[in-house]
Amino acid sequence: MNIVKKIKTLLKEAELYHSQGLMYEAIAKYNDATELIQKNEQLKNKQNLLEGISKKINVLNKDISKIELAPKKPEVSENIQDLIKKMYAFSPDMDEGAKALEGAVALAKFGQFKRAISDFNELLKRDSTRVDAAKNILRCHMALFSIDEAISQYEKWLLDDIFNPDHLNKIYIFFESLLNNEGVEKTLPKTKEQVDKVKVAVSSENDQVQISEPKDAGLEKSETVSEGEVESEAGSEDVLDVNSIGISVDSGPQKGHVYEFKVRFQLGKVVSLLIPSRDKDVIENFKIGSEIHDVQYYSNVGLFKGSGLVSAVKEITIGPLRGDYCVDIEVMVH
Amino acid sequence: MAILNLKKRQIECKIVYYGPGRCGKTTNMEHIYKSYKKQVTGEMISIDTEGDRTLFFDFLPMGLGEIKGFDVRVQVYTVPGQVQYRSTRKCVLKGVDGVIFVADSLAVRREKNMLSLKDLQHNLKEYGINIFKIPLVMQHNKRDLAGEGLPIMAVEQMERDLNRQLKVPSFPASAISGQGVGATLKECLKLTLISLKREMKLGQ
Ligand SMILES: Nc1nc2c(ncn2[C@@H]2O[C@H](COP(=O)(O)OP(=O)(O)OP(=O)(O)O)[C@@H](O)[C@H]2O)c(=O)[nH]1
Ligand SMILES: [Mg+2]
Repeated sequence: MNIVKKIKTLLKEAELYHSQGLMYEAIAKYNDATELIQKNEQLKNKQNLLEGISKKINVLNKDISKIELAPKKPEVSENIQDLIKKMYAFSPDMDEGAKALEGAVALAKFGQFKRAISDFNELLKRDSTRVDAAKNILRCHMALFSIDEAISQYEKWLLDDIFNPDHLNKIYIFFESLLNNEGVEKTLPKTKEQVDKVKVAVSSENDQVQISEPKDAGLEKSETVSEGEVESEAGSEDVLDVNSIGISVDSGPQKGHVYEFKVRFQLGKVVSLLIPSRDKDVIENFKIGSEIHDVQYYSNVGLFKGSGLVSAVKEITIGPLRGDYCVDIEVMVH
Repeated sequence: MAILNLKKRQIECKIVYYGPGRCGKTTNMEHIYKSYKKQVTGEMISIDTEGDRTLFFDFLPMGLGEIKGFDVRVQVYTVPGQVQYRSTRKCVLKGVDGVIFVADSLAVRREKNMLSLKDLQHNLKEYGINIFKIPLVMQHNKRDLAGEGLPIMAVEQMERDLNRQLKVPSFPASAISGQGVGATLKECLKLTLISLKREMKLGQ
């Protein structure tokens, strides 16, 4: 093949790869062509050719970075959200309420918080899901960093008459430790009468809410919970609300290291953790169906130890949490 | 994990298109959507990102009508092929009943095909599914590109690379023109229904 023909072939191939969206393959062909042109002394308008190719490569590089830096998608459209619910929350043997709850949790897991809140609000109407829905609404607000919103929602519930005193107490204990966990110091009203009287004090010099990493928030909390509250919570049949968990790595180079993760959502015995993309290494330890030994659960009534069964590991690909991982762990206490 | 509703005499099963990035999974589904109007029971939903790459999945609901007294419904999904969406691919595989592996015939994508097949095997395994046992069909896509002067692999080579051990039915195709697309899906549906029937018998 003569040299001009060879170059032409390479350029055509590069174009075709580009049209297929195969950017790196296209660049490779352009590079081959460039090399060939540079080696060839007799070639006419060599400089023009090289410049033309370099422009093409620039365009490709721009396309690549566009793809790699694709803007984060906030909430996706409603029918897609419906589909996510259906996809990630189908268990044929569950009742409607439980199914709907799982669907709403699935939405929250994928960063679709607003829609999740509206779904959870619907679930407040059912006896069986009311308390779980309320807790998750508060969690969604916190995840959106709208702590004020969470607090005013809670106060509104105190004023409305949709929860019985036992429910309200559960929500109170849960919310207080959730706030605590986020480093927000406050005194929450416990009754209708206390709303308005209590001002929310936030642990910060200016008026901004500060979010701190959870340390042993759950533990600290245990010291301040009165016995009566401990009983009412621990005596109920559902699993304790877990705020964060600590996992010790038991093998590999990281052996002995304890990772701590915040619990974003909890549905019965299953807690969902949000694992930031920077902790990707840890994900490798989470295999679906495997048991994690030596787990510390920081609950609102103190620390308890146990193990956990990994029930799901998902990468969040849409919404503001894109790139992070969502891991579901079933709490097992011995 | 197909959902069987004996009362309503309804079966719902899930087929997933798998394969490396840019191999033509979404294009396959687009062709099905356009050409099988009678079987398509709803809109095709695509969630994609920059450069038409699938971000989350594509989804197409289909109905095959009544088979042996059962109303058979099929949910078809494609996975995002880009390497970084590994966990999403696994998510989409959840509850899968049958898989179509789309391989790219372009010689430059040879390694990508093999890596993707490995990734499929790995992800299935995490759900306790053996790649040798699940209904699986292979497609050698983009055969048309030979005519454009791009180096493409011979079918024999692709079979050696990808199907030597699996020995599943495979089809040459050009998703862009639609050639081979229907045949691939039909074979996968056939295998899936046979396998479901067997499972149902075992369950009785
Ligand atoms: N010539 C030709 N081009 C094809 C064929 N199938 C797909 N393409 C092209 O290949 C590119 C990628 O196709 P998609 O269907 O988006 O690929 P995909 O597998 O869904 O890609 P991801 O979503 O990133 O995993 C597009 O430019 C298509 O037009 C084919 O059979 N022949
Ligand atoms: Mg696609």
